[in-house]
Amino acid sequence: MTLAAKSPVARLGPWLARFTPAQGFALLAGFLVLLPWFVPNYQRVFVAEIFVWGLFAMSFAMVFGFAGMLSFAQAVFFGAGCYGFNLGTFYFGFNTWGAVFSAFAAAALFAIPVGFIATRVRHHHFLIVTVIISVLVTTILDSGHWKWLAGPYVTRSLTFVPEVPLGFVSFSFFNEIVAYYFTVIMVAAAVAVCWLLVHSPFGRALLAIRENETRARLIGLNVNRLRWIMFVVAAGIAGYAGALFALLTRFTNLEFFHWTYSGKAVVMAIIGGVGSLIGPFVGTAFYLLSNEYLSQFFQQFVIVFGVILLVVIRYAPEGLWGLFVGWVRSHRSA
Amino acid sequence: MSELVFILAMNGLVWGLIIALIALGLSIIFGLLDIVNVAHGDFFMVGAVFAWTVILMTGNFWLAFLIVPLIGMLLGIAIERVVIKPIENSPSLSIVATFGLSLILQEAVRATFGATPKRILDPIGITIPVLGMNYQVYRLFAAAVAIAAIVAFFLFLHRTKFGTWMRAVRQDRETAIAMGLPANRIFLVTFGLGTSMAMLGGVVAAPITSVEFRLGLDVLPLCFMAVIIGGMGNLPGTAAAAVLLALIEGIITSFAEPTTARIVSLIIMSVVLLVRPEGIFARRRT
Repeated sequence: MTLAAKSPVARLGPWLARFTPAQGFALLAGFLVLLPWFVPNYQRVFVAEIFVWGLFAMSFAMVFGFAGMLSFAQAVFFGAGCYGFNLGTFYFGFNTWGAVFSAFAAAALFAIPVGFIATRVRHHHFLIVTVIISVLVTTILDSGHWKWLAGPYVTRSLTFVPEVPLGFVSFSFFNEIVAYYFTVIMVAAAVAVCWLLVHSPFGRALLAIRENETRARLIGLNVNRLRWIMFVVAAGIAGYAGALFALLTRFTNLEFFHWTYSGKAVVMAIIGGVGSLIGPFVGTAFYLLSNEYLSQFFQQFVIVFGVILLVVIRYAPEGLWGLFVGWVRSHRSA
Repeated sequence: MSELVFILAMNGLVWGLIIALIALGLSIIFGLLDIVNVAHGDFFMVGAVFAWTVILMTGNFWLAFLIVPLIGMLLGIAIERVVIKPIENSPSLSIVATFGLSLILQEAVRATFGATPKRILDPIGITIPVLGMNYQVYRLFAAAVAIAAIVAFFLFLHRTKFGTWMRAVRQDRETAIAMGLPANRIFLVTFGLGTSMAMLGGVVAAPITSVEFRLGLDVLPLCFMAVIIGGMGNLPGTAAAAVLLALIEGIITSFAEPTTARIVSLIIMSVVLLVRPEGIFARRRT
């Protein structure tokens, strides 16, 4: 007891507890602004990629953590975003902003009929329907027969370096710093919008539905429509992440549609914690960083993540971020 | 042409019976433990890999029919005990846990068995002429094993005391526990039985398909479709739906692409889900 109290970790708790959330966010923002200047070349894109995958994981947390829908279809919408991005860039000739918007629109539009079917059913049926929809989409795209439907825009690499036009000036992704800042700002904007959304009456209503659907229906909420809207919004966010990914790495792949990619989002989000919007980013950073730096010692590193996932579910269902928040709070109240 | 239709319909039937065996395991786990086992396809895959291992170690394929279901039973019981039991109060987290299990199984097989697909030689090696084409006797044998296992499963469920207990828990968990049924033991055996059936399916299917670590990814959606169309937790419905689906896919494959066949069955499933979410064979059993 006394030994533990003297350890530096134990002193860190009260120190962290002194910060208000606003100060915490200011620190985080400062950290994100300064980060690229300390990261070596070629690693900045990797860091930015963490934010993109984090946003993807967050879109899963939106449907699962905030609306209780265990969706394995997020990857389809990520892929639909990549498709919308390619369609906007190559077919319509949009600039970067237009392409990102068309990615969001493609994913959200696709999610409207999908969500209509999926949100009519509950719990286990919902999971199965989302898996089956993913399988349907990948089967069609994989076969190569229904080309008239998707055209050549599913897997396509950018043949040029994207530009970010801002009024009179235009920044080129050729500079890694630009790619980093653009991605981080776009991700932060999406997180801010989602934060407002889940703290709005709409978000509260969905929490009520997650907690007790019968009661939510009795107080007059249109349960299916609210779930449907949330499903479409989260799909749009996943598609938006797909566009950011396509911009960052300049390539898209059929693989992104597969439901095992949704599984990745599930693993990253649950390890980080699905009860908040920050948690999925923490989980993603943990997943990708350890995958990058530890897989050279052990090829099948995914096994370790499977085990970590089981341990987190068993002992810390609120995830790593939830553990951290709980730990800081315990010092605040004391 | 008609010969081709017949052969492909036969293949579909055989495959459908194997899927029915696996889907029954999925359905019984769902009915009793209230979780969708996302790792079920991987249990099937592990069964096929074990069949390959048994051949490698003993040189005898038939031994696998005895050994692998036993291993499956033990593996299932261990998994239920260690992974599912501690979080049984949260169904959606249990599903995520089975997904973690699926990752572990796939990667463990990739690490030990290797990533390249392997084939098992036809263990009977005899073909019989059917309508002027040669048909593998093993496929007929596989169908017979699947039917025997399905019949044995239903006999166990309806003719033994333990099977009656399982049906009781499935119908009304609270009352069954209040009547003093050993619920924990029933859950253990159910999960073990489901795993064992999936792994037996893996053994039966191993000489028909190629053995690799991704095998389960294709089988799981098929089982899901069977479970949805047959009605969730409706065991005879699940089996019938699996056979029907595979038969339809087999017949469509004779004049169209396999992809088209798969898309047709997916569309059938979506329609069933929209029109009769309780499954086409449902007659609300209370």
